[in-house]
Amino acid sequence: MNRGLNRFAILVACATFFLIIAGALVTSNDAGLATSDWPLSNGQFLPPMVGNLFWEHGHRMVATTVGILTIALAVYIRVKEKREWVWKLALFALIAVIAQGLLGALTVKLLLPLAVSAAHATLAQLFFCTTVSLAVFTSRSWIEARPVSEVEGVLPLRYLCTAALLTIFVQLILGATLRHSAGWDKQLPVELIVAHIIGAVAVTLALGSAALATLRRHKGVTFLTRPAVIALSLLVVQLVLGVTAYLTRLRSPNDPQPLNPMISITVAHVACGALVFVTTIVLTLRTYRVSKESKVTRWKSSQSIYAHQQ
Amino acid sequence: MNKQTRVWLVLSIALSLLALGNACSKETTNKNGGTTETAAGPYSGPTGAIAGVISFSGTPPAPRKIDTSADPVCGQKSPNLMTDDTVVTDGKLANVFVYIKDGTAEGGKKVGDYTWAVPTSAVVLDQNGCHYKPHVLGIQVNQKLSVTNSDQTTHNIHPTPALNKEWNQTQAVGAAPIEQTFTRPETLIPVKCNQHPWMKAYIGVMKHPFYAVSAENGTFEIKNVPAGKYTVVAWKEGGAKGTEKTMEVTVPANGSGKADFTFEGGAATTSISPSLQMMPALELPSMAGKH
Repeated sequence: MNRGLNRFAILVACATFFLIIAGALVTSNDAGLATSDWPLSNGQFLPPMVGNLFWEHGHRMVATTVGILTIALAVYIRVKEKREWVWKLALFALIAVIAQGLLGALTVKLLLPLAVSAAHATLAQLFFCTTVSLAVFTSRSWIEARPVSEVEGVLPLRYLCTAALLTIFVQLILGATLRHSAGWDKQLPVELIVAHIIGAVAVTLALGSAALATLRRHKGVTFLTRPAVIALSLLVVQLVLGVTAYLTRLRSPNDPQPLNPMISITVAHVACGALVFVTTIVLTLRTYRVSKESKVTRWKSSQSIYAHQQ
Repeated sequence: MNKQTRVWLVLSIALSLLALGNACSKETTNKNGGTTETAAGPYSGPTGAIAGVISFSGTPPAPRKIDTSADPVCGQKSPNLMTDDTVVTDGKLANVFVYIKDGTAEGGKKVGDYTWAVPTSAVVLDQNGCHYKPHVLGIQVNQKLSVTNSDQTTHNIHPTPALNKEWNQTQAVGAAPIEQTFTRPETLIPVKCNQHPWMKAYIGVMKHPFYAVSAENGTFEIKNVPAGKYTVVAWKEGGAKGTEKTMEVTVPANGSGKADFTFEGGAATTSISPSLQMMPALELPSMAGKH
């Protein structure tokens, strides 16, 4: 385990989270087409950062930084990491960030078609998921994790978590589509709002079940319970943010321009959604980790031998 | 006959029928990809005018202050910029787009069946003080729209039509006017600046020259209208799609038809049906189903 590599992977994941916030600010401020150029803005590397160009060009600058950091992370992993599959995942992250940049270009050149904008927002979440996974895989807790027992006769926890993860991902796609289906000065389509609300119920049930099952079955195993508690807490915050985002968004078409609190709350909703997603990824990966160890060692005891309980 | 021969035969027949159908079609395709109806030629009969006043009843919504501080140039030039979606002076409403939607001229032909010359002069949309001037304007199909930048900051002009081609073009300080045309009738095309999201304008694209925008005192006049009977529409921005009022007006030869409209307080948030929004400016029987 290389501590420097893990710290760098965490840095890239944090930078990606910042990039998601920057992207959400572009959408909420209606700044996606503040310039008709790409990759330059108004023909300049460093244009005057005024008006909505501040958000759009700022997003591009953060994205460029994340791109460079991802290249550095891939090189770092190639040099220091012995697990071939980790290198392959880093390579996937690199391809994803390049694809994301090209999708960003398409949003500008094709004047924000819904499919491309929603794909850009969805790939952002997938890329974030990849960088967080790299941080998880290079962490000490992952390397040193030991198997834990599964309660017999019930659905394995890893399947519950996977179901929650997929539900959240579908909900993220719905959210991205809803968000990009109308600008701040138009009402959002009712059918997509209803779909997103149904998705919220599904996520609450799926993630709630997975997190509560984790807490009930593995009490004291912080390797699993910590992400479960964080995911549950974030889910509560996300539901509150969702309701407030909807209320503020409902009023925004009557405003003369995109205003707070609509901007800050919708951006917070996007950011919190990303955090719910990656926390669930961490939980899911860890459930697979301990269950995989279980298979390898043919471990059948009903008692946890997890080594990291402090 | 083997299989390959049969395939070629079927393809040849299909192509021949397609070519025949195309040749027999009543419409022609113009260079912009739009379709042009067989026209009855220019109108040469008697003309009159349509004039009226746009009133606003009830309490108009108070103009809201726009925060222009995001761009220092806008902040300095227009520190007290207000919304202008409902401009009411002494009960009279400005910025209402009035146009002939349908109707029959003397002689029995629809007004849209005639050929109306496209003005050679461009319609100017200026960006001044981070504000579009005028706020509502009319233009004929294929007439030049000239967008100018009188500000010391970069703008981008972004019309978002439903029927015409969407475009988004950056215009730097001191740049030459941007010239564009619209190839299809459409009421009304919202125009925005993604640099300064408060900037909004509306363009009505018409097949004929019979439209006007109400002045600050609510008055408007549409001149040189062929004598006949018409459906006249007054469109006011607000809500998702705007609000329309419709009136039947008879234009006498060498006289004037009266078309006074009244918009009510609160009507600004009433949306018209989407189908109405998607309608071309001129509803002609022969154009049905071709958009």
